[in-house]
Amino acid sequence: MQNKQIFAALIRDTFRQSLSYGIFWILLAVSVLTTAVCLTVHIDGAARLAAPGENADFLPKSDPDAQDSAKMKESGVVAVSGNLSLAFGAIKIPLERDSRTSVHFLQLVLAGGVADTLGLLLTLIWTAGFLPGFLEGRSLSVLLAKPVSRWQLLAGKYLGVLSFVLLHATLFVGGTWLAIAVKTGIWDASYLYAIPLLLLHFAVFFSVSLLLAVCTRSTVVSVFGSILFWCIAWGMNYGRHFMVTCERLAPEGTFSGSLSWLVDIGYWILPKPADFGMLLYDALDAKNFFGPAFDPQLLHAHGFSIWLSVLSSLAFTAYVLFASARKFMATDY
Amino acid sequence: MSLNTPKHAVEFDRVSKLFATGLLGRRRLCALDDVSLKIAEGEVFGLIGPNRAGKTTLVKILLSISRPTSGRITRLGRDWRERSTLGSVGYVHESQAFPRYLTARQLLQYYGALSLQPAAVTRRRSTELLERVGIADRSHEPIGQFSKGMLQRLSLAQALLNDPSLLVLDEPSEGMDLAARRLLHTIIEERRRLGHTAILVSHQLSDVERLCDRVAVLRGGKMAFVGPVAKLATGLSDSERKAAIAPNPQFEDALEPFYAGAGAQ
Repeated sequence: MQNKQIFAALIRDTFRQSLSYGIFWILLAVSVLTTAVCLTVHIDGAARLAAPGENADFLPKSDPDAQDSAKMKESGVVAVSGNLSLAFGAIKIPLERDSRTSVHFLQLVLAGGVADTLGLLLTLIWTAGFLPGFLEGRSLSVLLAKPVSRWQLLAGKYLGVLSFVLLHATLFVGGTWLAIAVKTGIWDASYLYAIPLLLLHFAVFFSVSLLLAVCTRSTVVSVFGSILFWCIAWGMNYGRHFMVTCERLAPEGTFSGSLSWLVDIGYWILPKPADFGMLLYDALDAKNFFGPAFDPQLLHAHGFSIWLSVLSSLAFTAYVLFASARKFMATDY
Repeated sequence: MSLNTPKHAVEFDRVSKLFATGLLGRRRLCALDDVSLKIAEGEVFGLIGPNRAGKTTLVKILLSISRPTSGRITRLGRDWRERSTLGSVGYVHESQAFPRYLTARQLLQYYGALSLQPAAVTRRRSTELLERVGIADRSHEPIGQFSKGMLQRLSLAQALLNDPSLLVLDEPSEGMDLAARRLLHTIIEERRRLGHTAILVSHQLSDVERLCDRVAVLRGGKMAFVGPVAKLATGLSDSERKAAIAPNPQFEDALEPFYAGAGAQ
């Protein structure tokens, strides 16, 4: 009961902080704008060329073979025609298959490109100032003289920022999903998996921002440190998969054993943003649209498991949160 | 134990605080040196001394904001590590900065929740206290728009929110106008009548002489004097009195980095 009261107060404070910093309104504006653009979506073309499980032959209208009408008629292959248009026809994307597939493609762009990459990095930057503001010595002293543990203060603030991000991820993904569904009649719920996955990805990297804030109480260090760390982790993650792929393709050895060993260690210790991308890719069933960056079979042969990757990232997060709490509890203010 | 033995609201027993200095933090600077002090329940106690004498460090250690390097501290009869006693403590910081985005009422609700006080009690107390400190008409404005005097009044209100048994006031009259100072004096007198303890840290000898039963003088991290206020005023010679509260520039300069900006480590 006490924890509930403490966390509720800290979460409420985080939302008030976001309102005063203007970040709440900026993110809301992005969601409203994107949802409004999605409300202009229009598709002309077949809703579905085959029921799930059925095999249907088709070719995009742009394919050279589809230009030969006699050949098409003889083979029974369907030429797909039509467009997905946005912003009242200002953006037109030719259908590669049917309208359901085009909607799925649009959702993948929104989840993977807009939210999970651009949105995540911008949110990390914008929220990096929350903790240093909270930890400012003159305002913190009175809070530290309250009958609340320091770990509760820190955990409450962390949960506050996660609640803030959860709300905005829900508004963005939920709003665009609803707008697209209402306009096209295609209710593809797999897109909604993006909400927990975006939150998970953010929670892992915000823990680093938290640690930097506790250690330095500097917004600048928190902002640049967390972005730099994301880049390093992404480089390590991508670099390790690249090395594994190269070694499998050229077994005589492109990289020295010690380098491979070091990269492997770094990969398993650090969180793995590229693997979070792969998890999103799997959850949103993107294999029909984008080829994976690395051959999954090669990675699996080298001991790769998406769940082990996520678990090790979560273990890293737990350790960083623990280190932050320890540091916070041991610091004199 | 005699029935007449006063209970102590606060006890410092040979408390020292060392700060790490130097590039690698290997050098040590003593901010509090073997300080012992007992403050009885219901007492209004003054703590004075020049800047950087260690007064705020002593208060922060009492409130578990900083940790002692050695020594034993009890707060309301319990060890200083036991945070539950902080629920009965009110604190006015010497240069308080509240979140500028909150209104006065929101701030009191926030602090009330963190004091583990029921929301209904906080609401009732907030209304009373905002009225009492004279900022009820501005209670829905963001704190960022408040003057320093109003902030001090708000600081006083938040310290009284949980009706504390122990009130710690670190330079509370800084920036206060005459009316606010009079209010502060009235509140301290009321706490005394209710049998609650108050610790007043101040540069203003006049405040201490007027309000406190006993006074301690810290100088260079050491206890230079503890006794009744009357003795500070009359029992010491002029030179003793001057020596007790005169600044110690070498000590103060050395301590400066721990009070400016980054906070003490």
